[in-house]
Amino acid sequence: MITTAGLRKSYGGVTAVRDATVEVLPGKINALIGPNGSGKTTFFNLVTGLIKPDSGTVHYRDTDITGRSPHRIAHLGLGRTFQLCRIFPRMTVLENMLVAVRRTRLRELLAGIGNPAEIERARGWLRRTGIEHMETAEARELSYGQQKLLELAAVLMAEPELILLDEPAGGVNPALIERLVTLIRELNAEGHTFLVVEHNMDMVMGMSDHVIVFDRGAPICAGPPRQVRSDPRVLEAYLGV
Amino acid sequence: MRIVSSLLLVAAALAYPWLVPNYYLVYAGVLTVMYAAMATSWNILGGLSGYVSLGHSAFFGLGAYGTGLLVARLGWPWPLALGVSTAGVALFAALVGVAAVRVRGASFVIVTIALVSAMNLLAQGWRSLTGGSVALQVPSPFAGLHRGQTHLLFYHLFLALLAAVLLAWWLISRSRYGSGLRAIREDEDKAESLGVPTAAYKVVAFALSALFVALAGGLYALWFGSLDPIFVFSVVFGASMVLMSLLGGRRHLLGPLLGALIVAPAGEYFLIALGETQIHLTATGVLLVLVVLFMPEGILARRWRRDHNRRAPQVLRRSDGGA
Amino acid sequence: MTLLLQGLALGLLTGGLYALLAAGLSLYFGVMRVVMVAHPAFLFLAAYLTYSLHTGFGLDPLATMPITVPLFFGLGVLLQRVIIRGLDPMMSVLLTFGLALTVEGLLGTIYTGSYKSVSMDYATRSLSLGEVHLPYDKIIAFWIAVITLTALFALLVKSRFGRALRATVQHPEAARLVGVRTERVAGYGFGVGLATAAVGGTVLALVTPFFPASHWAWIGKLMAIIVVGGLGSVLGAALAAILLGVVEGLVLVTVDATWATLMFYAFLLVTLLLRPQGLFGGRLAHRF
Repeated sequence: MITTAGLRKSYGGVTAVRDATVEVLPGKINALIGPNGSGKTTFFNLVTGLIKPDSGTVHYRDTDITGRSPHRIAHLGLGRTFQLCRIFPRMTVLENMLVAVRRTRLRELLAGIGNPAEIERARGWLRRTGIEHMETAEARELSYGQQKLLELAAVLMAEPELILLDEPAGGVNPALIERLVTLIRELNAEGHTFLVVEHNMDMVMGMSDHVIVFDRGAPICAGPPRQVRSDPRVLEAYLGV
Repeated sequence: MRIVSSLLLVAAALAYPWLVPNYYLVYAGVLTVMYAAMATSWNILGGLSGYVSLGHSAFFGLGAYGTGLLVARLGWPWPLALGVSTAGVALFAALVGVAAVRVRGASFVIVTIALVSAMNLLAQGWRSLTGGSVALQVPSPFAGLHRGQTHLLFYHLFLALLAAVLLAWWLISRSRYGSGLRAIREDEDKAESLGVPTAAYKVVAFALSALFVALAGGLYALWFGSLDPIFVFSVVFGASMVLMSLLGGRRHLLGPLLGALIVAPAGEYFLIALGETQIHLTATGVLLVLVVLFMPEGILARRWRRDHNRRAPQVLRRSDGGA
Repeated sequence: MTLLLQGLALGLLTGGLYALLAAGLSLYFGVMRVVMVAHPAFLFLAAYLTYSLHTGFGLDPLATMPITVPLFFGLGVLLQRVIIRGLDPMMSVLLTFGLALTVEGLLGTIYTGSYKSVSMDYATRSLSLGEVHLPYDKIIAFWIAVITLTALFALLVKSRFGRALRATVQHPEAARLVGVRTERVAGYGFGVGLATAAVGGTVLALVTPFFPASHWAWIGKLMAIIVVGGLGSVLGAALAAILLGVVEGLVLVTVDATWATLMFYAFLLVTLLLRPQGLFGGRLAHRF
């Protein structure tokens, strides 16, 4: 679904991502793991266009999206969340839902935000994420867990085919993690592909079909969870043996 | 009840020139309405997208000189001159915007200050065109009217402009485009990742906001009849739009208007009470400092916070949706 | 050719002065992320104080610095502690803009709007090197700038305070973790910035006539310098100041004053378009 080849990005003297050649499998729940500072978030930012690579290419399906601006990449059907949950704090929950745009036609832009069909769709996602009762609250009034759900729901409004989640379980209580996993599984069954960066190993190993391991800016192995778990290179990366 | 009181207010605004005892107060009314229109226009960019421009007087000045020069030098009919110069300024603003909105926050403020300073320099330096520091005289298109009648006419012209700007802000704020601008204000990278073409949105907001300010400038040239680069291209003048919007409330449709209704008459009062000293600058400065420190959300935000939960908001909160 | 040499030499001297005047701005931005629009207003406040001390007590302008520099340092610490800290960058621009208006209004009220100047007989003569004539006041200004900036760099690089300050600039949280009291350091940093304004103001009083609204002309120039140099980088600003001073000097002798000043804005625009982080490093411009 996403194929990167020789992706590289350095800041000053520090190389954050080097020669990353990665394949994200369509229709699956892909996970991206690795020790802190191994370049996972930088890789996310490179794929979604937030930063531009020094060299290498990113392909989405058969389209070369290297260096395209984030909103154009989003229009192709890529949605993402951020590591430290990012929502629009001083807009209402419902309005947060209506920001995402897939196609931009002038008439739609000038139309009021109150389009009933859109609002119904937004409410549908809010119901599924379980925060529909908060729709008139300002987003900053939500608990952290609710904000994470809102961020995911807002991304879903654009009907992305591929959803990149940056540490969805970070700072979230176990009950909510449970709910998130269920939701991700359901969405995956409905045809959404996922790429998830996550530190919670139980969650990653229990949920994903394909695991990519990063160490020091480059992928060191990839495969089904069972295989990755027993790979000596992964143990080395994590334990530093 | 709301409708009745709104209608009464509009009627009072229309009738104001006949309700006051002298032409000086009509003149002060013209200035106030002009400031209100400019502050509201500034707020298309500043309030919705959060990009604070201290340089909008550049567009006022360009609109004024454009209209003034076309009328004075080429003898164009004033509506044509006004339209052409406004369109030109909007185009210019869009071009400047492409460069300016590449930087955010404080860097953007620097760019806007630089813009107005550069325009000021050009207007003073290009003597053959603008007359330099010798004011450019623009012949009144309404030579038949005496001074008082001219004030009366322009009072209503500026009022019409104000109405148009308010309508534009309101329409934008409740459109998906406005929603995108607010998302930019809250978190630009996030908005971009959700598919909002942020650069294009910002440039359009910048140009629209400049367009109405340029119209105000053009009307000012026709009304006042004399243009001094030091006044029309001054950063202080641009800052007054910011002060008015901040004081009234940037997130509210009527915030800048309210701010203008307070600041503009206060400025005129200072001028009369204290004469031509510079102390009014200190008063403006202190007011700006106080607003930034103690009520950055403005007067209307305060009032709104008290009663916002009593109404049932739909998509928007009253803070962002206007009246 | 002589003309060009004259322009180059004058530009170099003026560039040195610009470096001094812009140093404070870079410091505030580095330490606090504050774009201090009021810096030029404080420059002229210092110039007026110098004028008063000179005309009132007969002090040599250079001898007023032991009074104005500590005064401005204290004022800077106070400003940072009492009103500027805790504001986001956007609001701090507006706040310092308000301060600039306040200072200008007070100067205008006290000293009226007319031009003032401090002229010393030693400052009106020129040094002639072949065909190139360099006014002594510009030379004095240049050397004061060099000495002050050297002292400033020594302070930033060698002293404990300087290390704490640079730590605060580069990584506030990490600095706090290793025990730097970042709030206090920021206050002193602001004080040092305003102290450079006291020196700069004295020098300005010596080389140019001034009136209360003079600071507007400087805001744009100095802002251009710190952006071209890379926001927050004191050294970058100094290099950019020399560069722009020379460019201005050359355009001044070959074209005219308007175009010479417009060069600042042209460089600003081109820097933002092509290299928003500035010509000489600094990675922060884009975000703030």
